[in-house]
Amino acid sequence: MDAFDLDVRRHVYFSVVANGRPPTTAEVAAAFAIDEGVAESAYRRLHDAHALVLFPGTTDVWMANPFCFAPTVHRVIAGGRTWTGTCAWDALGIPAALGCDGRIESACACCGEPVALEVRAGELTQGSDLLAHILVPARDWWADIGFT
Amino acid sequence: MVYLRSEEHLGRWLDANGWEPGATLGAIKLNDLSREWWGTRLDARWRPRAAAESQAIIDRLGLAGEFWSYG
Repeated sequence: MDAFDLDVRRHVYFSVVANGRPPTTAEVAAAFAIDEGVAESAYRRLHDAHALVLFPGTTDVWMANPFCFAPTVHRVIAGGRTWTGTCAWDALGIPAALGCDGRIESACACCGEPVALEVRAGELTQGSDLLAHILVPARDWWADIGFT
Repeated sequence: MVYLRSEEHLGRWLDANGWEPGATLGAIKLNDLSREWWGTRLDARWRPRAAAESQAIIDRLGLAGEFWSYG
């Protein structure tokens, strides 16, 4: 990953934190004073490098993991915003990435009953009795990251 | 990865979907993993992690076996 792509990736993540959403490629183009096609190419390379996940067939950001920009059952309140986590792992990753306390409001995959977890100073202070389950072995995580 | 309320709910969820079990973590272990895995994601000097670095995190947390082999 070259320095330009790292700069674009950094801009995406900082924009997520600042604005609660990723920038469009037009916004990246404006920020870097480049053609939008150059920004689109950078987004595609970042996707291929697993540094971002784009919605299929688009250059719109689906995930800047652990942040997700499509609806899921995992709602994360942290750092003065409400976020979406792609999965149980990413949901707990949002307060970890932000370096702040957080609350995860989700649901049991079996019965749909609400479950809640709280993180304070990095430690789990609520929800420690819950389980998390991952179906996909580590080597296959990126084969279908949306399912993983 | 999903949350489940208990082993009983895990078993019912797997049965209902016809899925083979993968790996189960307690929420405390998952929080530890999340901290290690995602904690540097917003660092200004972030660089892509090599597979060996990802595997080292997994190993450090005691997640052993073929399932957790990052490849």
